Formats: sequence, structure tokens, C-alpha cells
Amino acid sequence: MSVSLIFLIAAGGLVLYIIAVYNGLASMRTRIAASLQEMGNQLKRQFELIPNLEASVKGYLKHEKDILTLLADARKLSAAGKDASAKIADLLPKLQIVVESNPQLKGSDVVGKLMEELRDTSDKIMYSRRTMIDLSADYNIQLVTFPSSVIANAFGFKPEKGLEVPEDETKTPKISI
Amino acid sequence: MINVYEAVDFNKRKSWLVIAGFVGFVFLAAVLISKGLAAYYGYQSTGLELTGIALIISGVMSLASYYWSDKIILGLSGARLADKRRDFQFYTVAENLCLAAGLPQPKLYVIDDTAMNAFATGRDPAHAAICATSGLLSKLNRTELEGVIGHELSHIGNYDTRLMAVVTILVGLITLLGDWLLRASWFGGRSRDSEDRGSGAIFLILGFVMALLSPLIAQIIQLAISRRREFLADASSVKLTRQPSGLISALKKLSMDKEPLEAANKATAHLYIVNPLKNRHDAIGWFASLFNTHPPLADRIKILEQMS
Repeated sequence: MSVSLIFLIAAGGLVLYIIAVYNGLASMRTRIAASLQEMGNQLKRQFELIPNLEASVKGYLKHEKDILTLLADARKLSAAGKDASAKIADLLPKLQIVVESNPQLKGSDVVGKLMEELRDTSDKIMYSRRTMIDLSADYNIQLVTFPSSVIANAFGFKPEKGLEVPEDETKTPKISI
Repeated sequence: MINVYEAVDFNKRKSWLVIAGFVGFVFLAAVLISKGLAAYYGYQSTGLELTGIALIISGVMSLASYYWSDKIILGLSGARLADKRRDFQFYTVAENLCLAAGLPQPKLYVIDDTAMNAFATGRDPAHAAICATSGLLSKLNRTELEGVIGHELSHIGNYDTRLMAVVTILVGLITLLGDWLLRASWFGGRSRDSEDRGSGAIFLILGFVMALLSPLIAQIIQLAISRRREFLADASSVKLTRQPSGLISALKKLSMDKEPLEAANKATAHLYIVNPLKNRHDAIGWFASLFNTHPPLADRIKILEQMS
């Protein structure tokens, strides 16, 4: 085999590798953007869900002022486009206690349904955030590890910031019972 | 304390190592047995065309089960489609974890059986299905269910159905070839007009030894791959949920459940979260553990506890 042929094969392999890394990074960037949209989508779902839930349980929980207040707070938060998961995390143990101390509520399915739906909506937001965080981490690793870092630099790929968590959400929520 | 990412990578590396060893072994065994067959019939050939024929037969048999595995298994186990209203936890947990795993949502099925178990099937994520028994759904809480569904989704995401289909084809190949050589020596005389004195006789002996031993060895390696994939699915599940406690307590509940699942059989056992046949005898130890599709629950729990 002549030297030029070996050289040609090596060059071909290198070009294929560069294309693969470039396409991988570009599609990861697109997926990160999509996961951001998914987070927005889930926040919108929560925004539509909570008022409905609130309306459906208002009659059942009219003596439980605490819970109705928390639920209203959660609704206001999600109406402002924010994640109400922290409020929901406060709310769920309290709901559990109310249900257990109240046989009438225990019998009816409505409050149980409320708890399930609330847990589900905060899970959905948590998991859509996790997708975003994981994807950005994978992408950023490619950007700093050799040899993909060389290609990323050559094509000007910028690191993703990931998710910025607001200061007040990093504190452990207090649960007072 | 084991990092989840490292646990997943470790299991991936280790299972590829086992798979590479398996493919190497199958190749060696196939060559030796077919050389033996060629030497036996005494014609001047490599005997490799026989390997080709065995590969085609084994492939066609397994391909059918690979393509229609979801329909066949679901048909056999009498499952019904899950409904968001009726199986709220199951449905929404699967929905949320698919979001986290970046997988399309698989079809969800419920088997009405009080035994606790779940399995995943389908040749790729787009054709996947997850099936849980009603016993499992009613006895696990949401966090535990997340662990189990995470495990099943990881089987889908890791293409374990596809992997096991390929492995089954190769085991079938070796079994067929070995069978042919042994049968050939049972019936019919050896042709006398052969010119094989030196290498032919060696290949004949080696081929016989391989024909006797390799189907068993291939199956043992197949089971080792299956067990490694279980560890991988456990680790990947924790990577999705970040709550090893959920899967740990689910596995503990599952280990208490001694009821065998009627819908399961040997062909589908490796797909379930725990061995559905419950025919394991924990006391017999190392030798018996070679023949299990699943690692012992105690080992799985121990490793998960190191992750929390």
C-alpha cells in the first residue's frame, strides 16, 4: 500500500470524525433549547391546572383556611410564570394530615385526586429541569474534553449556562406542622 | 458512596467487555465445530458454509421474536392498555420519567395479577412497551414506582431487548452447530476417502469437545450479560430519579413477594424487574447463581445503598 493511500484514508477518517462531533454538538444545542421550551410547557400546564384543582376542592376544604391559602399562593405563583413546586411541597404534608384526621375527606376521592395531581405537576417540572441540566452538563463536558474541545473551539461553540436557580429556591423549605 | 454517572459508565464498560468476550467465544467455537464437521465428512472445505446456514436458521427464528416481541409477549400475558384515569400513578410516573430520559412515551400495559412484577419490551424506544402487574401498582407508593419504571425505561433506553435478541441468535447458532456434529457422529459412517491425517483429527477432537461444551458455556455467558444489564438498569434508574431509596424499598417489597407470575416463562424472564419464575434457591450459592437471569436482590440492594 502506498504512503499516499494511507494518508488519504487517515484524512478521510479525520474529516468524518470532525463531522460527527460537529453534528453531535449542534444537535445537543438544539435539544437543550427544546428542553427549555419543555420547561415552559410544563409551567404553562401547571398554570392551567392549579385554578381547576382549586375550584374542584374549594367546597370540600372550606374549613381548612391554611390549605386554601397555600393553594391560592401556589396559583398566584404559577400565574406569575413561576414554579409553584416549593409551595406544593409545603402543601402536601398538610393535606395528608387533614385527610387522615377527617374520615369524610378520606372517603371522598376528590382530595386524594388533588394530592396526586399536585405531586404530578411538581414532578413534571422537576424532571423537565433535570433534562435541561443533564443535557447542558453533557454538552459542556464535550466542550472541555479532548479531542472534541478542539473541534468545538474551532467552530465557536459556547458553553451553556444550564439552569439558574433563584437564590430563595436553594434554601431548604421549612415545614411547620 | 458511588457516583451515579460512574456507576452507569462502569456497568456499560463491563457489559461491553462481557459481550466482546461472548462474541469472541462464539466465533472460536463456530470455527472449531465447523472444522470438526468438515474433517468428519472429509471434504476439503473450511466448513464455514455450515456456520452460515446455522446463522441463517438461528437468525430467522430469533428475528421473528425480535420484531413481534412486544405483540407476542403482551398477547401471551393477557395485558390490557393502561388508562390515565384508572392507572393515574403508573401513567404519570412513566410520562414524567420519559421526559427526564428523553425517550418517546412507550405503550403502557397492565396485567391483572396479584404477583408483583413489571417488564419492558420492544425492539427500539419507538416500539417499546412497559407492562406492570396490578399487584405491583397497588402495593408500591409513587417513589417506589418511579424506581421500578425508571429501571424498565432504562432497559428500553439501553436497547437491552435488541442486545438480548442478538445474543440469543448467537447462542442458537452454537447450539445448532454442536448438535449437527454430535448427530453426524451418531448416524452414518465417516467417509474413508479423506486425506485428513494430521490437522483433520485434531480439529475433529477439538470440534467434539466444543460441540459438547460450548452450548452450555454460551448460555452461561448469555446469563452473565443479562445480569450485568440488570445492574446497569438499576444504576440508570437512579440516574433518572436521583432517589435510590425508592428502588431499594421497591426491591425489598418485591423480595417479600413469593408469588410466581403465571404469565411469565423462561423466554421472557430476563425482561422483568425481578425473576418472575421465583425458582431460585438462594442457599445453593455460586454455582446456581451462574444460571440466574437476575443478580440476587440482596446484591442489587447493597449496590443501590452505596449510591445513596
